[in-house]
Amino acid sequence: MIENSASKLLNGDTCLRTSNGKKSGRNGFVKKHCLHQQQKCHRPKEVSHIVGHNAVLYNKPFVESFEETPLLVAVLTYMGYGILTLFGYLRDFLRHWKIEKCRVASERDEQKDFVPLYQDFENFYTRNLYMRIRDNWNRPICSVPGAKMDVVERVTHDYNWTFEHTGTVLKNVINMGSYNYLGFAENTGPCADSAAEATVKYGVGVSGTRHEIGNLDKHEELEKLVARFLGVESSMAFGMGFATNSMNIPSLAGKGCLTLSDELNHASLVLGARLSGSTIRVFKHNNMQSLEKLLRDAIVHGQPRTHRPWKKIVILVEGIYSMEGSIVRLPEVIALKKKYKAYLYLDEAHSIGALGPRGRGVVDYFGVDPHDVDIMMGTFTKSFGASGGYIGGKKELIDYLRTHSHSAIYATSMSPPVAQQIITSMKCIMGEDGTTLGQERLRQLSENTTYFRRRLHEMGFIIYGNENSPVVPLMLYMPAKIGAFGREMLKRNIGIVVVGFPATPIIESRARFCVSAAHTKDMLDTALNAISEVGDLLQLKYSRRTRLSDDEEADHLSYLVSYED
Amino acid sequence: MNVGTAHSEVNPNTRVMNSRGMWLAYLLGIGLLHVILLSIPFVSVSVVWTLTNLIHNMCMYLLLHTVKGTPFETPDQGKARLLTHWEQMDYGVQFTASRKFLTITPIILYILTSFYTKYDGVHFIINTFSLLSVLIPKMPQLHGVRLFGINKY
Repeated sequence: MIENSASKLLNGDTCLRTSNGKKSGRNGFVKKHCLHQQQKCHRPKEVSHIVGHNAVLYNKPFVESFEETPLLVAVLTYMGYGILTLFGYLRDFLRHWKIEKCRVASERDEQKDFVPLYQDFENFYTRNLYMRIRDNWNRPICSVPGAKMDVVERVTHDYNWTFEHTGTVLKNVINMGSYNYLGFAENTGPCADSAAEATVKYGVGVSGTRHEIGNLDKHEELEKLVARFLGVESSMAFGMGFATNSMNIPSLAGKGCLTLSDELNHASLVLGARLSGSTIRVFKHNNMQSLEKLLRDAIVHGQPRTHRPWKKIVILVEGIYSMEGSIVRLPEVIALKKKYKAYLYLDEAHSIGALGPRGRGVVDYFGVDPHDVDIMMGTFTKSFGASGGYIGGKKELIDYLRTHSHSAIYATSMSPPVAQQIITSMKCIMGEDGTTLGQERLRQLSENTTYFRRRLHEMGFIIYGNENSPVVPLMLYMPAKIGAFGREMLKRNIGIVVVGFPATPIIESRARFCVSAAHTKDMLDTALNAISEVGDLLQLKYSRRTRLSDDEEADHLSYLVSYED
Repeated sequence: MNVGTAHSEVNPNTRVMNSRGMWLAYLLGIGLLHVILLSIPFVSVSVVWTLTNLIHNMCMYLLLHTVKGTPFETPDQGKARLLTHWEQMDYGVQFTASRKFLTITPIILYILTSFYTKYDGVHFIINTFSLLSVLIPKMPQLHGVRLFGINKY
C-alpha cells in the first residue's frame, strides 16, 4: 500500500488522506480534497490508493463518490436561473399592470394598500419557477405503489395553474420513486391478509393516545418484536415517522445540552433539535474531522457564555441520507463518541431493512455492536410497507420515553392493521414465518442496487452516494432539465422523483431513484434503457471519469475514495 | 423551505455566492455585457467602457443592495426579510471570500475603464460616482443601515 504524506490533525493523528483512482491525465474535474479542514493540502497527481488511519475500523471497502460539477455546466445552470428570473420579473410586471391575467390568489380591493399577502417576493420562486414544472409532482396514483403502479393522467390547459383528469389511467408505470426497498408495498400476500384480519378484529381507528386507552396488545407485541429485530433491550413505536423525531428529541435534549447535527439532516431531526432548546452546531456532511473539531471545541470551552460543562452532548446522524445516497461513517462516529463520551442518535429511516446482510440496517452493515448506539430510531414507512416510527435503546431510556414523550401523551397511537403489517413483514425479514422470502428479498435488493448503480456509472451519468445504498441520485443540474427529465420519463412509462432548488443546493438539482427488491432485472433494464435514451436526448451524461478496472479494485485491502464539493 | 428540503440550511441565499462556478459566471456575464455594448455601431471605445461600468454598477446595486428578502419562504420566521442580499451573504459575517471578490471586481473594472477612457474628465466624474455608489454600501459600518428611510421596509 502506498502511503502519501498525510497532513496532521490537531493532536498529531494522521489525517485520512484520500485520493481517487483515476488516471492522472484528467485532473481538474474531480477535486481531490483532504478531509481535514484546517491545513491546506496539495492535490496529489499520481494514482494511489491510500490506507487511511481509520481503515481498520471498517470490515469492507467504503466507496462513496460525489463527483464535482463540471464548470461549464455550473455556468450554464446559473445562466438558466438568470433567464428564468428575468422572465419572472417580466411576468410579474405584466400581472401587476393587468396585461396578463393573474391566476394567483390576490387581495381584496380594500387591502391593496396593506403589505401584500399573496403576490409577495417570497412567492416569486413558487409562482415563476415552480409553477412551470409543477406537473412533475403530486401526481395522483390509483394503485398500490409497488414495483409498477397506475398513474392518473392529467392535462393542463393553462400551463400548470390548474389540472384536469382526462379519465384515462397510465397502466403499469415502472415505479422508481417509492421507498419500497424490500417490496412490501403490495395488496396480496401474507402481510396484506394478516392486516385484513387485524382490521376485522380491531377495527381501523384507535381513538386514543398511548396513555389513554390507546395502548393495544398489538403495540406491545410490535415493540417486543422491534427490540428483538434491532438487538436492543427495549423499543417504543409511534404512529408517525416525522413525529417520532420531532416529538422525542425534545424529551431527550434540553437547555444546557449540545446537539451536533449533520449538515444534511432531515427536517424532522432539525425541527426536533430546535424544539428541544439545546444549542445546535452543524458539522460538515459525513466529515469526521469536522465532527471531532466541534466535539473538542465544545468540551474545552463549555457552554457559550458561562463556560460551564455541557449537560450532555448528542450527535444526530442518519443511516442513509435520502438526497445524497451516502451512508454514515458509523464506525468512526462510534469511536469518536466513545472517546469524547457523547451520545449517539441514529436515524435509520432509509437504512433499516435495506442495508446489511440480515437487513438490520446500518449497524448490521458495518458489523457494529447495537449497544454502542445509544438511541436507535427508524421508520416503518420505507422497508416495511407501513407507516410510523420507532425508537430503540436501553430499557431505562425507553421507560423514560414512555412517560415523557410528547407523542405518547398527545398523539394517537398506531393503527392496528398497520401494526400487524409491520409485525408480519418484520417476521418475514427475520425468517420467522418459516419461508426464505425475507432472505431472498434482501439479496435481491442488494443485487439490484449494485446492478443499477454500475450500469448508470457505465452510461456516464453523475451519481452521488455510496455504492451500496439503494437511494440513487442522478444529477441534472439545469432547471429546465428537471422538468424535461420528469416528463420524458413519464412518456416512457417510468415514474420518478425529481428535486430542485431550494430543496437542494442551487446548482445540484437531481432525479432520485429508489431501487426496490420488487424490481425484476427486466424492469431495471427497461428503466435503464429509457434513462439512457433520455440522457442522450437531454445531454445528461456529464461524468468525466473512467471506471477503475476490476483488477485494480481487488488489489487493495480497503481503499476509501471520497470526494467533497 | 426546511420541510421537504434535503439540508438544514435555513437560508440558501447565504451560500449562493460561494457555489461552484458562480464567480466565473459573474465574470463571464460582465464580459458578455461588454461585448454586446462593443457591437453597437458609432459608439466610441471610451463611451462603451463607461457604459459597461455604469450598467454593471447599476445592476449590482439593484441586485445586492436594493432587493430585500428571499424569493422563497425560509423557516427562520422572516429574519432575512428586511435584509438585502449583501447583508444576507454568509449570515452577515464580514470579509469572507465572496465579499472580497465582489468588492474588488468593481474596483478593477473602474481601473480598466479609467485607462480606456484615457482619464477624460467627464467620464472620470461619472465613473467615480458610480463606483462610490457600489462600494459604500459594502462597508461593514453600513450593515443594516438605511439612509433617510429609503428601502427600509
